[in-house]
Amino acid sequence: MTHKEFMAFIWPSLLAMALFIAVPIISVAYQSMFVEHEQIMIETETCGPFGCTPEVAVDQDAMRKVREDSPAGRFNGLDTYTNSSHLATDEITEIVATSENFGEIRDRIMNLPFYKALIFTLSYTFIVTPLVIVFGFIIAVVVNSIPSFLKGPVIFFSLLPMIVTPLVGSLVLFWMIDSRGVVGAFLQYLFADPSLSLKASPTLTWVTLFVYGVWHSAPFAFVVFYAGLQTVPSDTLESSMVDGANRWEQIRFVVMPYLLPLATFVALMQLMDNFRIFEPIIGFSASASATSLSYLIYTDLREAETPLFGSAAATSMLTIIGVIILLLPVLFRNAREFNRKA
Amino acid sequence: MALFQTSSDNPAAQKSTALAVLSVAFVLVWLFIAAFPFLWTAWGSFKAEGDFFSRADWMNAIAGPATTAQTGGAFTLDGYRGAWIEKEFWRAAMNTGIVTLCVTMISLTLGTLGGYALARSGFRYTFWILIAALVFRAMPHVTLVSGYLLPFFQLNIWGYLPTTIIVLVAINQPFTLWMLHSFFLSIPKDLDEAAMVDGCTRFQAFRLAIIPVMWPGVVTTGLFSFLLAYNDFTTTSMLLTETNATMIPKINSFLGSTQEEGKVMYAVAAVVSAIIPLFVLIMFFQRQIVSGLTAGAVKG
Amino acid sequence: MARLQLKNINKRWGDFVGVKDLNLDIADEEFLVLLGPSGCGKSTTMRMIAGLEGVSEGEILLGDQVVNHLPPKDRDISMVFQSYGLYPNLSVYENIRFPLRVRRVPKDQHDEMVMRAVRMVELEDFMHRRPAELSGGQRQRVALGRAIVRKPTVFLMDEPLSNLDAKLRVSTRAQIKNLQSKLKVTTVYVTHDQIEAMTLADRVVVMNAGEIQQVGTPTEIYNTPANTFVASFIGSPAMNLIDGRIDGGTFTAEGMTIKGLKTRHSGPVTLGFRAEDADVCEADGQITGPVYSVELLGDATMITWRQGGALVSIKTNKDYRAEIDQTVTGAIPTEICHLFDAQTGARIAQD
Ligand SMILES: Nc1ncnc2c1ncn2[C@@H]1O[C@H](COP(=O)(O)OP(=O)(O)O)[C@@H](O)[C@H]1O
Ligand SMILES: [Mg+2]
Repeated sequence: MTHKEFMAFIWPSLLAMALFIAVPIISVAYQSMFVEHEQIMIETETCGPFGCTPEVAVDQDAMRKVREDSPAGRFNGLDTYTNSSHLATDEITEIVATSENFGEIRDRIMNLPFYKALIFTLSYTFIVTPLVIVFGFIIAVVVNSIPSFLKGPVIFFSLLPMIVTPLVGSLVLFWMIDSRGVVGAFLQYLFADPSLSLKASPTLTWVTLFVYGVWHSAPFAFVVFYAGLQTVPSDTLESSMVDGANRWEQIRFVVMPYLLPLATFVALMQLMDNFRIFEPIIGFSASASATSLSYLIYTDLREAETPLFGSAAATSMLTIIGVIILLLPVLFRNAREFNRKA
Repeated sequence: MALFQTSSDNPAAQKSTALAVLSVAFVLVWLFIAAFPFLWTAWGSFKAEGDFFSRADWMNAIAGPATTAQTGGAFTLDGYRGAWIEKEFWRAAMNTGIVTLCVTMISLTLGTLGGYALARSGFRYTFWILIAALVFRAMPHVTLVSGYLLPFFQLNIWGYLPTTIIVLVAINQPFTLWMLHSFFLSIPKDLDEAAMVDGCTRFQAFRLAIIPVMWPGVVTTGLFSFLLAYNDFTTTSMLLTETNATMIPKINSFLGSTQEEGKVMYAVAAVVSAIIPLFVLIMFFQRQIVSGLTAGAVKG
Repeated sequence: MARLQLKNINKRWGDFVGVKDLNLDIADEEFLVLLGPSGCGKSTTMRMIAGLEGVSEGEILLGDQVVNHLPPKDRDISMVFQSYGLYPNLSVYENIRFPLRVRRVPKDQHDEMVMRAVRMVELEDFMHRRPAELSGGQRQRVALGRAIVRKPTVFLMDEPLSNLDAKLRVSTRAQIKNLQSKLKVTTVYVTHDQIEAMTLADRVVVMNAGEIQQVGTPTEIYNTPANTFVASFIGSPAMNLIDGRIDGGTFTAEGMTIKGLKTRHSGPVTLGFRAEDADVCEADGQITGPVYSVELLGDATMITWRQGGALVSIKTNKDYRAEIDQTVTGAIPTEICHLFDAQTGARIAQD
């Protein structure tokens, strides 16, 4: 295929990605260095029957003009990145200087919005991902061993939690774990504690979100591993049987090594997807105890009066950097493999 | 039963009864965990709030005494009526229909051309395009949205369905490209090369030799494009006005008003309504979905 | 004590019969080869012995024990697979050690046993490589090494040489024969290659369509094939088989007559003889006609006639030359002739 033919085929796709993925990233980088215009105040006199009183109000006309002149706001350099709702460098310095012990440092940092979100995002990513792989694998192995007429229905229902919209899926669970819902009531009965509520404690909220994450993604790992199990080389598996391996040893020495590349694939997909955890926080109304980077951006943009574009953009940039760090090992591996092939 | 005669008399596959029972029990528990929430919610959507969220006894959600007291029957369509008619969920459903249909069509058209080019070109930059696509695929959508809003306001294109459709197509491209690229790799090169030897141009070869055999891969990829558009909350909730909202943002907007008695059932009914098309989708396309999930894995 | 007995073994999948009424008694230390065309049920038989496949009917005895329901790991066997079935993530050393590990052989004996096997299959230089980094022949030797690392009651080998090139096949064949006679372990070996069977076996079992056709030493199988199937399957080129009639010891078919056969049988029969046993002659031959083809084989020249619908070949002196369509006469002495029933294909004894 010549360069020209290649371009003829691929340009619409490249254009779409350039315009709506690459340019927005640049736009975000640009916006992150600006903040909203300061309010321009104007003093007016309100005159009533009892004389005139001076009043200070926002000069809407002037504001509109300034906004039109420079819609991104005023230049702020990297200050947004370091302010208290992002990296909070000053606050961190102070916390480290004035805190007595590590526990206190941790607690105080957890109160900074960006770090609170970052820590939850990372915890979610790195707890849910391995659990998904483990559960998916176990389900796949067990389903593979049951009578075959059960397999179809099992796969059918297993797909549901994964296919269903995350917001919808989390709402379905949320209503069930509500203290008036069936699971909530059951837990109260189980622990003999009528006041038990999963929403009340931050820890329980985190656990709930993790459980949701595993419930939502385990089917994906299951399906991938299950498909992989169908292609385990029977020669090797049978060799191990004849060699004397028991059921567990067959899994340990033949099946697991064979599925390892699939596990890497699942891990990669899950890292990417879990790092952008967002809808469940809304679905579970969990923002009081758990926020994520994506959620921070969302609330900045949803700010009722004027969206905080600068702040959202700075968080976005930090998130993008996070994603790239997450992907670095994969990128290196791919590049190495490509170079070896070339 | 004749069905598992072969496996049970195979000494290599035989297992103790305990293990067999345990496996089936485990699978049943998993089935329950996976499916029960949906069944429960679907059932509950025909009840009054006092039953679905019962302070007294969870059994009420099954029998439905409050529903009977309020409406005279054990089941009620109040939730659906409220959501679809009073809150105009039908409009959201229509918008979702338009958005998903357009996104799927356009994504597949662009993705098929691009994926074919990537699969057939041996140049070094194909590798970098694929890597860029992988990185783009990993971008949280909300970070992109924060890049769109300001320019869209400026250009006055915010809030309309076409804008959202194009954005979703673009967000969808990385995945579509990867998937179709690996699918086209599995179609032998000989096919289009033979056509070109016979005198076709590259495009004719694509049209005459490749298009007739590409449908399985395209259908599978299309399912996932559909799911992405259908399930999107981030983009649609930020880029569409209230009247243009699709189903998922609409459901979210119901949540604000759930304090009022009975209103939460609107959300429940809407949620169940949004699940039904997905249920049907799995029913018809289970095999394609499974093969699509694993297609990426094979290529790695 | 490792006698292996198969009693009335049947294997069915639904209506399809894979193996039918198979009886075999394999003595301790015997090298038994299952020979037959592809799809005739050799692997199935072997897999039933290994426990990888269930038995529909009949009994398998290993020593005095009925093992029908024992899983493979409890049968004390080792097996070499056609595509080797190596563990791709383990090194050669670990591959060979694997059976010791999972059979809980005391750890302190592992190294000695593995090294003995490694030396026997001459893999000392490759111990730390992964299977993917080995050639086909080396992989085959890893599989062999893994099979001999412990002393099982029975070795099973399913076409272990079929993935090797011709030259390597010959040398590995010799190696297997040598190993087996040193280790003195009962061996069942599956192949579709008659030369392999002839060179390796103490006894050959010829199978077709799930049934045993003949059991015997290689010489017996070659010299007195039990039926037309065995006759045509063993030997290269295949035995000439000619349909005709016999009456009073005289066989007649289109274009040929053989007199003086020592049998009282009369009626339609199939006569067989091997190309290498006959020769061309100047006159008074049993077959005369225009030559269909002349092939130079190097160590011999093969002359072929068309006879009825079939081809009849005779090997002769390597310097013999003839033109196509030239009339040539072949000598087929009665001593080299085999007679088979025209209907059943079974051998008809001659006095
Ligand atoms: N699991 C199975 N189900 C149905 N038929 C089978 C199965 N395994 C083997 N067969 C059939 O049994 C016959 C014998 O197979 P096999 O023993 O593998 O032949 P071979 O002699 O070439 O090793 C073949 O016709 C094959 O198709
Ligand atoms: Mg075979």
